[in-house]
Amino acid sequence: MTHGILIYAHNTRAVDYALMAVISAGLAKKHLSMPVSLVTDDSTISWMKQSQTFDIANTVFENIITVDRPVTDNQRRLNDGETSSTVPFINVNRDSAWSLTPYDRTLLIDSDFLIFSDVLNKYWHTDCDLLIGESINDINSQDRMKYLDRHISDTGVKLYWATTIMFTKNQNTRLFFDTVNHVKENYRHYADVFRFDHRQFRNDIAFSVSKHILDGYVESNLGTLPPILSALDRDILYSVDNRRLTFLIDHKLDNNYCAASISGVDIHIMNKQSIIRNQQQLLELI
Amino acid sequence: MQEQLAKVLDFSNYQQTFSVQKKTLKERSEAKLTYGINGGIFRIDRDLLTFVEILITKGRTHAVVLLDINQNPILIDDLTLFRDQIFDRYFQVTNEYFEHYQNIKKSRSVEKLLDT
Repeated sequence: MTHGILIYAHNTRAVDYALMAVISAGLAKKHLSMPVSLVTDDSTISWMKQSQTFDIANTVFENIITVDRPVTDNQRRLNDGETSSTVPFINVNRDSAWSLTPYDRTLLIDSDFLIFSDVLNKYWHTDCDLLIGESINDINSQDRMKYLDRHISDTGVKLYWATTIMFTKNQNTRLFFDTVNHVKENYRHYADVFRFDHRQFRNDIAFSVSKHILDGYVESNLGTLPPILSALDRDILYSVDNRRLTFLIDHKLDNNYCAASISGVDIHIMNKQSIIRNQQQLLELI
Repeated sequence: MQEQLAKVLDFSNYQQTFSVQKKTLKERSEAKLTYGINGGIFRIDRDLLTFVEILITKGRTHAVVLLDINQNPILIDDLTLFRDQIFDRYFQVTNEYFEHYQNIKKSRSVEKLLDT
């Protein structure tokens, strides 16, 4: 059985997802010792060639899988510390992972998830066809997570995090990814049924609803990956120094920051621009 | 008064960083306290350690089925070996946790905390 990691990256004018994917892939490959493949599109590849990241990408990725650039008007509000902007966001083809992955068992991760440990290696041989990030774990000690970070809506089901997903390619997981596709295609309908906000398509919600349906419309914590340690986009990755990441943390979400550092743990850094600002130091770690 | 306020704010920043460092250290340790065997994943905690030790005391040492974190039944051929491995992992991780925690406790400034 082949094992490997899959990352999606479709650049927008605001965020260089390809560069983040190279960093994320390099760290994943280093700490999990597994091959990594990229799913991207022609225009993102053109940008990679122009920005000199394509050569590094060729050394980091085992396969670069080119697909049509998804058409979407999805937008999201992205904070970078105190500043914020509304930017386009191409995330609507994650359900194609089942058919695109070249591996029998795949770890699908977001490009802003940086792996610094081998914790996820323990899950390759788990007797579960599909595992998904159980929850998000705020880097701050005081919990800034709200109800809607744990549930898909005020009255909806538990929210799982599609930042990390591991699956074996078989008929069971095909059904799961087909269901994700079905939820995506009928997002408005499911938004009515589960009472979530339909204005922005979120993979986390599509995956959570699919899991809920396939679990028999009951909440089940079975088949989960460890909680995802996350720095919010209000937090700033300040520096990267010899595997130590130092953050400025907006601990009360009021633009007053405290400092904190981590090393040797996997981290989901939602402030994408701060990953880009530290690209040189992060690339040196791969 | 200004000086006193500055001291309070400094201490507040220190406390905030201290608690974040403590939390991430705890989570790093918890993440290491899992053990994979025969397609199962086990969380190494006091419940598992005690339960395994009781089974061994009762003479159940071979071909024992345990439920993993996903409630899957996992066959453990040699429970004594399994016990030794999870005990080793538990003490390795908790000793490391203790060592790092002492470093955090000894750090009396934000700068030093960030280096722990």
